[in-house]
Amino acid sequence: MHPEIVRIQSMLEDQGYVADQSLATSVYLAIQLRKPLLIEGAAGVGKTEVAKVMARALDTDLIRLQCYEGLDATTSLYEWNYQRQLLHIRLQEHSDLPVEIREREIFSEPFLLKRPLLAAITHERAPVLLIDEVDRADEEWEAFLLEVLSDWQVTIPEIGTIRAKHIPYVVLTSNRTRELGDALRRRCLYLWIDYPAFDKELAIVRRKVPAINDRLAEQIAAFMQFVRKTKLEKTPGIAETLDWSLALMALHHDHLDEAAVAETLGVLFKQRDDAERVRTQWLDHLLASVAALDREPRPWTQEMIDRVAGQGVGLPRR
Amino acid sequence: MNAPRRFGNLTAHVVAFCRRLRARGVPVGPREAADALRALGAVDVGDRRECYLALRTVLTSRRDDLAVFDEVFEEYWNPPPPDGASGAQSAPDAEAAGDGVQPPPALAEWLDDAPPAEGDEPLPAYSPVEVLVQKDFSTFTADELHEVTRLVVAIARRVATRLSRRTRAARHSARVDLRRTIRHSLRRGGEIVDLAYRRRRIQRVQVVLLADVSGSMDLYSRFLIQFIYALQHALGRVETMVFSTSLTRITDAMSEDDLRTALDEVARQVPDWSGGTKIGASLRTFLDRYGARLLTPHTVVLVISDGWDTGDIEILEQAMAELHRRAGRVIWLNPLLGSPGYEPICQGMRAALPYVDVFASAHNLESLRRLEKHLAARRR
Repeated sequence: MHPEIVRIQSMLEDQGYVADQSLATSVYLAIQLRKPLLIEGAAGVGKTEVAKVMARALDTDLIRLQCYEGLDATTSLYEWNYQRQLLHIRLQEHSDLPVEIREREIFSEPFLLKRPLLAAITHERAPVLLIDEVDRADEEWEAFLLEVLSDWQVTIPEIGTIRAKHIPYVVLTSNRTRELGDALRRRCLYLWIDYPAFDKELAIVRRKVPAINDRLAEQIAAFMQFVRKTKLEKTPGIAETLDWSLALMALHHDHLDEAAVAETLGVLFKQRDDAERVRTQWLDHLLASVAALDREPRPWTQEMIDRVAGQGVGLPRR
Repeated sequence: MNAPRRFGNLTAHVVAFCRRLRARGVPVGPREAADALRALGAVDVGDRRECYLALRTVLTSRRDDLAVFDEVFEEYWNPPPPDGASGAQSAPDAEAAGDGVQPPPALAEWLDDAPPAEGDEPLPAYSPVEVLVQKDFSTFTADELHEVTRLVVAIARRVATRLSRRTRAARHSARVDLRRTIRHSLRRGGEIVDLAYRRRRIQRVQVVLLADVSGSMDLYSRFLIQFIYALQHALGRVETMVFSTSLTRITDAMSEDDLRTALDEVARQVPDWSGGTKIGASLRTFLDRYGARLLTPHTVVLVISDGWDTGDIEILEQAMAELHRRAGRVIWLNPLLGSPGYEPICQGMRAALPYVDVFASAHNLESLRRLEKHLAARRR
């Protein structure tokens, strides 16, 4: 492996992020080619985390822009500080300066409030700019973003054109609630993050919940693999796995059994229907699968898990 | 680790590889090809996995590309060794052979000039059992048509007004434009006399109608088609498609001013009226062909069907899941739902139900009238 990729991988791991080679390569290329990195994947697989960790690894600031429906250029780029402008006008009430000059004064940089995009391009050193859930923003805004990402400059009518001092490292995330335009996609490097495989999830649980005992950690990671093979409204992600691990530990469970799972289902499934469906229909099957796996030699492998799931301990298929 | 075996001229190979991807529908142009070369320059080209990851990061741009990429990568960089050859410097294969070695400056031009691969484009296939029937709308008596049309138009209008009123109410009201307000006040020493307003542009709801016109829907479709006609005319932003074994867009035909002309036009355009039903395949066609343009969180998709699918249920389920994810709201109107004791037990309906936001009946005018309350775009 390229030494830089190894370095990025270990930096990410130092920051508590279990990074596979594919992720590290994408981050490395985004830095090397200075291209925005578009990360897609289901909610809860750790997309946002990548940007945070990247900023820490590069030892630079993270500027975050959370997208939502109705986000417009003003709220993402800049806004005038109206209170301050008003105050300034009041203080100058009796000045003899012509209106044009006073107007120029209050529409100048000291009265400018920088929103994330402008803040990112005027930052002292290249920051990581996280454009989170870009799929939530409207198409118009997406077109506007595309312009900023290609030119790295913005024009403010009263001030003029502001060019980027440094081109930021850009990470975009999307949950795919809306298809992004081709133009934006093609400006970006692309990374798809799937739900973690067994090994990775186990490593994450061990790292983030160090006090957990081995058996419980393994069972949790395996249970998650089985759960994700069933059909749910909202498949639980890594965040849920970790919450669940903590909840189980707080309740002093050291292995999975019916009582333990039933007691904590709400932590794992945020949708009432899902919790209900799992409790009434699938819990036996899921626990039977874990029990079947328990009879296998350790360490468990993804292959074993897929085999157990496939053997149909009666698991309803996705 | 083995380097990609085709080492001769990396540029030429990357370009040929990009072309193959493009022939398979992955949007790869000169810029991506140039980025691929830069990316390979940044990683260890002796490491096969690293090359694979680098190329994948640069050359794909959506999840659907990934499987295709893997296939093409395997084919191109890891072909089965030719008989007896050691494989160290295997010649480029038939497709790449004619291209020769391309210097990097020619890259863009070369990629642009590449002719589209022939035969790769999947052509819509028709099953031999498909019934090709043209629908004759003249079976309506003039009186019937007049009466029903009048009612349907009235309902569609109400649905449409309700729809636009709702969208407006859901939006922010006019907001104060502080920038202009301050500018004005400057002339009065900071006294704010008039507030300047700005208004957000109202994003209108896009309605997509997908109507089943297969045999099992026969009883209802002539009645529903009028509703669709009226709705399209009252609402403006409506795209209408009908399907049985394949999908046909009839928006333009339906926009004829006269209902009868419109219906004639539709009957002429739709090849498989009253045939079997492949809901899944038809939805898939819709997603692939129109999805990118028509599906946003502001889209209301209205499927009108009884759910009898003679096609692959799995395809139906996947298509519904995608529809649910990409549209603002999915409404399924099932004429059978009106019959007493109806249970959605047919396989197709069962597969589709989890991805439907509103499941309602559409067997008579009253049921259509109730539709208006479901027609807001947002799911939550």
